[in-house]
Amino acid sequence: MSNLTAEQPMNVRTISDGARAMEVVAILVKRSMIRVRRMPSAFIPSLIMPVFQLIAFSGAFGFAVTSLGIKNALDWYVPLNAMQGASFGALGVSFGLINDMQTGFFDRILMAPAQRWVTVISSLVAAVVRCFVPITFVVIVGYIGGMNTPGGPMAIVCVAIASVAIAVVAAGFALGLTFRMRNLGAATLTQFAIFFTIFLSTSQVPLYAMSGWLRGVARINPMTNILRFARQGFLGDVTWEQSWGGLIAMGSLLIVTFIFAMTGIKKFDQ
Amino acid sequence: MTQAPIIATGLSRYFGTGDNAIKAVDGVDLEVQQGEIFGFLGPNGAGKSTTVRMLTTLLKPTAGTAFVAGYDVVKDADKVRRSIGVALQDAAIDPLMTGRELLTLQAVLYGLSKIAGKNRGEELLERVGLTAAADRRVGTYSGGMRRRLDLALSLVHEPTVLFLDEPTTGLDPMSRLTLWEEVKRLNAGGTTVLLTTQYLEEADQLADRIAIIDHGHIVRQGAPRELKAMVGSPTLSISVASSETDEARVILARFGDLRPTSEGTLGVGLARGAEDVASVIRALDEAGLKVRHLELDEPSLDDVFAEATGYRLEGADAANKPVETEAVLETKKSRRGRK
Amino acid sequence: MSIAVADPKMMASSSSSRSLFRHTFALTRRSVVGRLRQPAVLAPAFIFPLFFAALGSASFNKLAGDPYFTANIAKSFMNYAVAGAVLQGVLFGSTSAAGDLATDIEQGFFERLLASPISRTAIVLGRLAGSMVVAVVQVVIFLIIFLSAGARVESGPIGYIGLIGGGALLALAMSGLMAGLAIKSGSPEVVQGAFPLVFVLMFLSSAFFPRHYMKGWYRTVADWNPMSHIVEGMQGFMNHDLSASQFAKSWLLPLVIAIISIAFALRALNNRLAAS
Repeated sequence: MSNLTAEQPMNVRTISDGARAMEVVAILVKRSMIRVRRMPSAFIPSLIMPVFQLIAFSGAFGFAVTSLGIKNALDWYVPLNAMQGASFGALGVSFGLINDMQTGFFDRILMAPAQRWVTVISSLVAAVVRCFVPITFVVIVGYIGGMNTPGGPMAIVCVAIASVAIAVVAAGFALGLTFRMRNLGAATLTQFAIFFTIFLSTSQVPLYAMSGWLRGVARINPMTNILRFARQGFLGDVTWEQSWGGLIAMGSLLIVTFIFAMTGIKKFDQ
Repeated sequence: MTQAPIIATGLSRYFGTGDNAIKAVDGVDLEVQQGEIFGFLGPNGAGKSTTVRMLTTLLKPTAGTAFVAGYDVVKDADKVRRSIGVALQDAAIDPLMTGRELLTLQAVLYGLSKIAGKNRGEELLERVGLTAAADRRVGTYSGGMRRRLDLALSLVHEPTVLFLDEPTTGLDPMSRLTLWEEVKRLNAGGTTVLLTTQYLEEADQLADRIAIIDHGHIVRQGAPRELKAMVGSPTLSISVASSETDEARVILARFGDLRPTSEGTLGVGLARGAEDVASVIRALDEAGLKVRHLELDEPSLDDVFAEATGYRLEGADAANKPVETEAVLETKKSRRGRK
Repeated sequence: MSIAVADPKMMASSSSSRSLFRHTFALTRRSVVGRLRQPAVLAPAFIFPLFFAALGSASFNKLAGDPYFTANIAKSFMNYAVAGAVLQGVLFGSTSAAGDLATDIEQGFFERLLASPISRTAIVLGRLAGSMVVAVVQVVIFLIIFLSAGARVESGPIGYIGLIGGGALLALAMSGLMAGLAIKSGSPEVVQGAFPLVFVLMFLSSAFFPRHYMKGWYRTVADWNPMSHIVEGMQGFMNHDLSASQFAKSWLLPLVIAIISIAFALRALNNRLAAS
């Protein structure tokens, strides 16, 4: 056995330095969309559930909201259900990743020279692309049901921003959990986490109408600020006072969940 | 000076810590030369896949060092990845995508331009005989087709070092031969290949040199021809009635060293090969022992394996064969979700 | 499990009612034990109903300020929500129980049962009875939790029996339906696919909010939904003096549904046996 060392690296054939990041993101997002198209049964529930819940919540609980002076229950629930629909993309991300781990395809992605953040970003972008479908459906159903938008087009902009942010946050959280747990338990935990975070906020009624423990929890839940930001244009004008809290909440959650996802994928290098 | 494409020194991987640590790979030293096909032979759980995963940067070594294509697998993992192609034990594919789509994806992941990637994809599809099936979903492919696609995926970026982890496990004989031909062709073009296998014939047919690994250690290393010669003499296998086994064993021991053989037979090494057979039979006959069956085998890699480890790789009984070790399970767990 | 084969008592003629009872009892026990050994599957049937009830109570308690609500519906929203939680828990539990039956069929254990000398009817009844047992346990646990949180059963001791019995009969009705689906399809995925329908049934009723406050087509659907009347029967036990109408709604109605759903399940079983 010789004592050769790596002082003189081999003359390997050069390819572009790393893969071009944006191209890699684009092709992985494209792959995600191909998978959705070819396995629609996995995607359809994330489309139907938010629309159903919009109809169910506004139909069943509408009085609780309209009795507080809100014109149409849909004004209250459309932003909630749009965000909920956007968050379902996170489950798709988790299931897709687990499937890749089980088929071994994830090893291919790990072995590619693309940097780890590119892999994470592409899953987050895929979640964003997916989320526009349920958001659109929910808003359309809202309009059909007579939803009001006193805030004008900014109402839709706010709900879109909030929904996209939730999609990214939920997907980042799902990725971080899945990288660590590497089994379907990650998808279940993600589902629970999203569910409780959304519902333990001003999901059903405003803060002032709540009582007891729920009020205390909703006060500190960042989702409350995000919902305030998303709903404002449906209840009145879009103002900075109602926006800054939600923007800070979204920004903070985006940073935290991105770090959570990145530290998760780095575990594969350890 | 061109250095060896694969150098491992004291490479080890343990799972767990302390006294209960599972030593999946324990101090592996190897050096694969430029342009060679290097066979890594051993049973399930021996440490082959764990070693490959360390060399391909999918698993971090617990101890030791490894350089692939001149780069440290830990410090320069990214550079290693650009230089190698890998086809792991299970074909790493996405069943919902078509063969063409997967090749395009792989090309982009490795930084090929669109046109270059497309051309490369078509070339590889042609090469592995999947052009006709290129637009079908991979989930509809047979096992052999998936392996060929997996191989094509590992070649997209024209790596100079190729790792194949049990590439023909589960394939029918025809598919296996096809894959062998492709590996030889690649090697003829200058690609260095490290191939793990549990099939002796595969190692014999393909490898310029082999290393035999057992319980995480390399127990023998060298060209197949040289290793067989080290085992030495041919093995005479005989079967007698079970009540006569002990007496037969004593008689055989007079002619040479006793060797492990398959169940129900006794084996002895004969220094002069066929010339000694008649003497052995005569001795058994004089003792009143009836020989039911006899076979004279030239040394095989199985003999090499048996001599090194004390049991046979093929046809070994359950007591000799290692069970799927926790190391194998840990390796599987580390790369994919628990099933 | 090989209870049906190992026990010599099971070898008695399958036509006798005594053996039907024995077989059903044994398979009921198997069903219950099987459910208890899957806490991850059973937990949602407890967690979600309790959560929704807690959420509803905290969100909608201002409704208790409406004179119509306190006079005609309930003293507090928590008292109102108990019945909805029972309904939800029983429906979730019954749906996932049918998944166990579909798994039996998919994995071949169902055929093992068919090959043993046990009553065919017992195979289905055992599952249904198992669901009822689990439902009884569920309702008792819910009552303990809600009572300790301040709820009251206004109809007295008989009201407790009314609630528990109502839950059991509802479990029987839903399980029969889901069992029929499981036997027809032999696939746990198909049974799981029916879960959204259960969700729809629950929401389009007065399980979570009084019908009185609903409007338009939603109100109409809730008025006609049998779940509304079943849950209102249970709400009656919680919030009003005992009356026959509470039993009519929460016992009789599920019983009628149960007869139909059991017939559906047994017919599905006969068809499956005839096909093989």
